[in-house]
Amino acid sequence: MKILDVFAYSFSAIKLRKLRAALTTLGVVIGIAAIVALLSITQGLQATITDQLERGLAADTLIVIPGSSALGGGAGEGGGFGGGEGFGGGSTRALLYINYTSQINSLSPNIVTSLAVIQKSGYIQNGSGITRPVTSIVGVDFAQFANAFPTTFVAASGSIPTNPADNDIVVGARVSYPRLNGTLFVQAGQDVTLIWTNNTVIPFVNETYTAHISAVLDRIGGFGLGGPSDTSVYMPLSQAEKFFGTDEADMIIVKLKSSDLDVVNSTSTTITNYFGNQVSVISATAVQSLLSTIFSTVSLFLGGIAAISLLVAGIGIMNIMIVSLIERTREIGILKALGMKSRTVLHIFLTESIIIGLMGAIIGIASGWVLANVVALFLGRGGIIGSALTITPILRPEVMLGALGFGVGISVIFALYPAWRASKLKPVEALRYE
Amino acid sequence: MSMALVVEAVDLKKTYMLGKIPVEALRGVSLKVEKGDFLSVLGPSGSGKSTLLNLIGALDKPTEGKLLIDGVDVSTLSDNQLADLRRKIGFVFQFFNLIPRFTARDNVELSMSIVGKSKAERRKRAEELLEIVGLKDRMDHKPAELSGGQQQRVAIARALANDPRFLLMDEPTGNIDSKTAKEIISLIKNLNEKGVTIIMVTHDQHLAREAKRTVQMFDGVISSDVVN
Ligand SMILES: Nc1ncnc2c1ncn2[C@@H]1O[C@H](COP(=O)(O)OP(=O)(O)OP(=O)(O)O)[C@@H](O)[C@H]1O
Ligand SMILES: [Mg+2]
Repeated sequence: MKILDVFAYSFSAIKLRKLRAALTTLGVVIGIAAIVALLSITQGLQATITDQLERGLAADTLIVIPGSSALGGGAGEGGGFGGGEGFGGGSTRALLYINYTSQINSLSPNIVTSLAVIQKSGYIQNGSGITRPVTSIVGVDFAQFANAFPTTFVAASGSIPTNPADNDIVVGARVSYPRLNGTLFVQAGQDVTLIWTNNTVIPFVNETYTAHISAVLDRIGGFGLGGPSDTSVYMPLSQAEKFFGTDEADMIIVKLKSSDLDVVNSTSTTITNYFGNQVSVISATAVQSLLSTIFSTVSLFLGGIAAISLLVAGIGIMNIMIVSLIERTREIGILKALGMKSRTVLHIFLTESIIIGLMGAIIGIASGWVLANVVALFLGRGGIIGSALTITPILRPEVMLGALGFGVGISVIFALYPAWRASKLKPVEALRYE
Repeated sequence: MSMALVVEAVDLKKTYMLGKIPVEALRGVSLKVEKGDFLSVLGPSGSGKSTLLNLIGALDKPTEGKLLIDGVDVSTLSDNQLADLRRKIGFVFQFFNLIPRFTARDNVELSMSIVGKSKAERRKRAEELLEIVGLKDRMDHKPAELSGGQQQRVAIARALANDPRFLLMDEPTGNIDSKTAKEIISLIKNLNEKGVTIIMVTHDQHLAREAKRTVQMFDGVISSDVVN
C-alpha cells in the first residue's frame, strides 16, 4: 500500500470519530503547550538576566572581594553582588586595602589596571529636604572608573570631572529621577546632602556632608555587579576614605587585557592564590556559567513536570487506540482478507497516532507560545518580579523541534502496543468478531 | 498436470477448540478444482462449508492435511506470503463485509489500494466494475444507503478488482430476494464464462444447479461430488 494511501486511510478513520480524536489531541496540546510555555519563559528570563549581568559587569573585568565563598562574601552592606563589610566569610575573611591595587597590578601581565572601591549604603537628601535611600555610596577614582567602564560610566547631563574636588559627586540615573516618569529628585549642578550611618562606633552616628552633583549618568539597567549602577552615588576615593574613615576597600576591580575565558580564569586563580584563598574573584563569565547551570536545572525540572502531563496524554492515546482497535476488529479482518499485510495494519494505526501527535504538537507549540507571552506580559507589568525585569519569551528552534518530536514520539510509543495487537489479528477471527 | 489445478486439497481437517472441547468442522476433505471450473458447495448448516472456504481463501490454516493453492502448499507460507496469496483470491463474504464509512467506489478501490495501484487506475477500474454489476448510479453511496443485493454486488465488484485467480463466494445470494439472486447468478455465470474459476457456497438447490459441478457436504466431509 502506498504511503499516501495509508495516510488517507488513517485520516478517514480519525475523521469518523472527530470528537474523540479532538479530545485526545487536546491532551497532547496541553502537555506540549506546558513544556513550550515553561521553557520559553525560563529561557527568556535567563536571557534577560544574562543581559543585565553583561551590562552590570564588563566581560573583561574581575571583581575581587574579601571572603572565600563561591560568589564572594554574600550581600554585605554595600548592596548588590559586590559584598561589603557585612557578615559573610567569618574567620577566613581577609581584609582588602586600598593600596593593594599596586600589588595586584604586578601579579600578571594580563592585568591592565586595578582600582579600589569603597561602598556603603546610605541616603541622599535633596534641596527640599527630602531623603531617599541609595543602593550604595561608592568611593572610586573617577578617571580610572571611567576607563574601566567606558560604556557605562558616562554622563547624561553635566560632566564627570577628571580631577574632582572633594565634594564633587556623580549620581546614577535613577537617583536623579527615581520614578522614571520625569519627576526629578536631584539633577546635575545641585547641592545635596549625603548621609551614612556609621555603625563602627557606639552609639551609631549619622555622618553627613554636602556634595555637589557634577554629573548624572546615562541609564544603564542591569544589576550593577561591580560596575556602575543606576541607583548609586559616586564620590572621589580620597573623599570616601575621609567620609567613611577607612582605608579598607570593599572591592577591587581588575581590568584585564582581554575577555578571553583562559585569561579570565587564569588571572582569577592567580589573584585568589596570591591572597591565600582569602578573597573571592567574581567574573561575569563565572556568574553566567553558574546562572546557566541553575537555569538548566530549573528548566529540566519544570520541563519534567510538563512532560508528565504529556505522559498522561500518551496514555489517553493508548486508550483510544485500544478502543478503536476493538471497534474496528472486523474492519481489520476485512483488510487482511483483502490481502493487507500485518505491517501495513501496523502502519495504519501508527499513522493515526502520528496525525494526532503532530496536530497536538503543532497546536501545542503555538498555544504554548501564546501562553508564554501572556504570562510574560503579566510578569512584566510588575506582577511578581517587579518592573525592573521585563521577560521576552524565547522559543528556540531546537525547543520547537524537540517539542514536535516529543509530542509525536510519545504518541507513537503509546500507540505501539495497540497497533501491534491490531496487526496480529487473525483474519477469520477478526471477521467473526461482532 | 497440476498446473491447471487451482485448488488441491488432500484430507483436510480443521478442529476448533471450544475451551477444552474439540469441534471437528472438517474431518478429511479432498477436493480438486481446475482452472475455469464453477463449483457450488451445498450442505446443511454447520456441515463445514464456510470453514472449507476460509481455508481455500487462505484466511485460516488447516489443522491437518495438505492444501495446495496454485501448486503452493499453504502451510509453508509466512504471514506475509499468505497476504500476497489473498491478493490473488477474490472473496465474497456471507455478510458483505464492506467498510461502512466508504462509498461503493471507495470500497472497490480499497482492494486495489492495498496492492498498491495508483489512484487513477483504481478509480477507472472501480467504475468499470461497478458498471458491470449494475451500480453505475450508486457509486457514491455508502453501504448503509444501499440495499442488501446492492451491497452484495459491491462486494463482488471488490472481489474482482484485482483480477483474482479464483472467486470464493459464501452464500452470495443468502440475504437476497430471488429476483436479485437471479441477477447475481447470471453475473457470476458471466464471469465464469470469461474464465474466472468460481467456488460458491449456497443453500439453494436451484442456484447450485447453475454451476458446472455440485459438491455436497455433510458433517465435515464431502458426501458427493457430481458434474451437472
Ligand atoms: N471459530 C470457531 N470456533 C469453534 N467452532 C467453530 C468455529 N467456526 C466454526 N465452528 C464450528 O464448525 C462447524 C462448521 O462451521 P461452518 O461455519 O463451516 O458451517 P457452515 O457449513 O458454513 O454453516 P452455515 O451454512 O450455517 O453457514 C460448526 O459446527 C461450527 O459450530
Ligand atoms: Mg457458513
